[in-house]
Amino acid sequence: MSLIDLVSEKVVKIPLQSNDKPDVLRELVQILKDAGEIADYDTVLKAVQDREDKLSTGLQAGIAVPHAKTSAVSSLKLALGIAPQGIDFDSMDGLPTKLFFLLIASPDRSGPHVEALAEIAKLARSQAFCNALVNARSAGEVVELIQGD
Amino acid sequence: MSSLIRKIMVYIDGTEQSVTAAQYAICLAAATGADLFACYVVNTRAVEDLLKARIFLADEQLEYEHDMEADAERYLNYVNELGLKKGVPVTKIQSKGSVHKEIIDAINANDVDLLVIGEVSHIRSRRDEFYDEAERAMRSAACSVLIVKDADRVWEMYESLG
Repeated sequence: MSLIDLVSEKVVKIPLQSNDKPDVLRELVQILKDAGEIADYDTVLKAVQDREDKLSTGLQAGIAVPHAKTSAVSSLKLALGIAPQGIDFDSMDGLPTKLFFLLIASPDRSGPHVEALAEIAKLARSQAFCNALVNARSAGEVVELIQGD
Repeated sequence: MSSLIRKIMVYIDGTEQSVTAAQYAICLAAATGADLFACYVVNTRAVEDLLKARIFLADEQLEYEHDMEADAERYLNYVNELGLKKGVPVTKIQSKGSVHKEIIDAINANDVDLLVIGEVSHIRSRRDEFYDEAERAMRSAACSVLIVKDADRVWEMYESLG
């Protein structure tokens, strides 16, 4: 399961409206709810918050990868939120986070989850690509960038 | 002329495409009399990379590896059942590590002459980062590779197999 199979305009939001970490998590899960990808908003949000409580998924260079496993989904779900202004997400380097990749997986489908996370980790190494995503003007442009078209 | 195909190996990764590939491989094994292997690789390399990138916690690494091993067993058992229903024995191969390397090793170790894989993504990125493990195995395998498409047709073919 590749990232480009998961991304579509309906699961991309730019710019995010949130100003702090708890709101970002709620807004990301809401993207999935609005896109019809999940039915049980509360269960998914709790799974994400529980994981985040253990250690922030805010990485370096403005990227965060909140993720969780929950039986509230039957297949892997992705939401991508972009906050060009940056939001404090308790990141490793202390810098504001601009790209948020939310991944929600079913407990019995760990393989695709790991592969998607690994793909995001590879993406995060390309500062130029991340800058292009942050500077995108629309969800459509974000999807085009990820699909490489 | 020697047998056209003697040993077939289908790569299973838990996707619907790989299950379709397994159905096709079973049909092919039934038609040719070839031995059939089903290979699932637990991608511990990716899990280790996620730990290094600090996306995973140490206990998450163990939890995911455990889950993935359970996935592997479940899917291999499922493919085995698919084969048994059609009278085709399936030899299960479960390994862990870097996926494309493990696939190549399994091909070489079992003298496989045809690798069967599921359909790769419809949309491929130009970015090097986006190639997937099955595609890497496809490019690296010394044997012939068959990419299975059209799940509906394959299902009909599998169902009609005696």
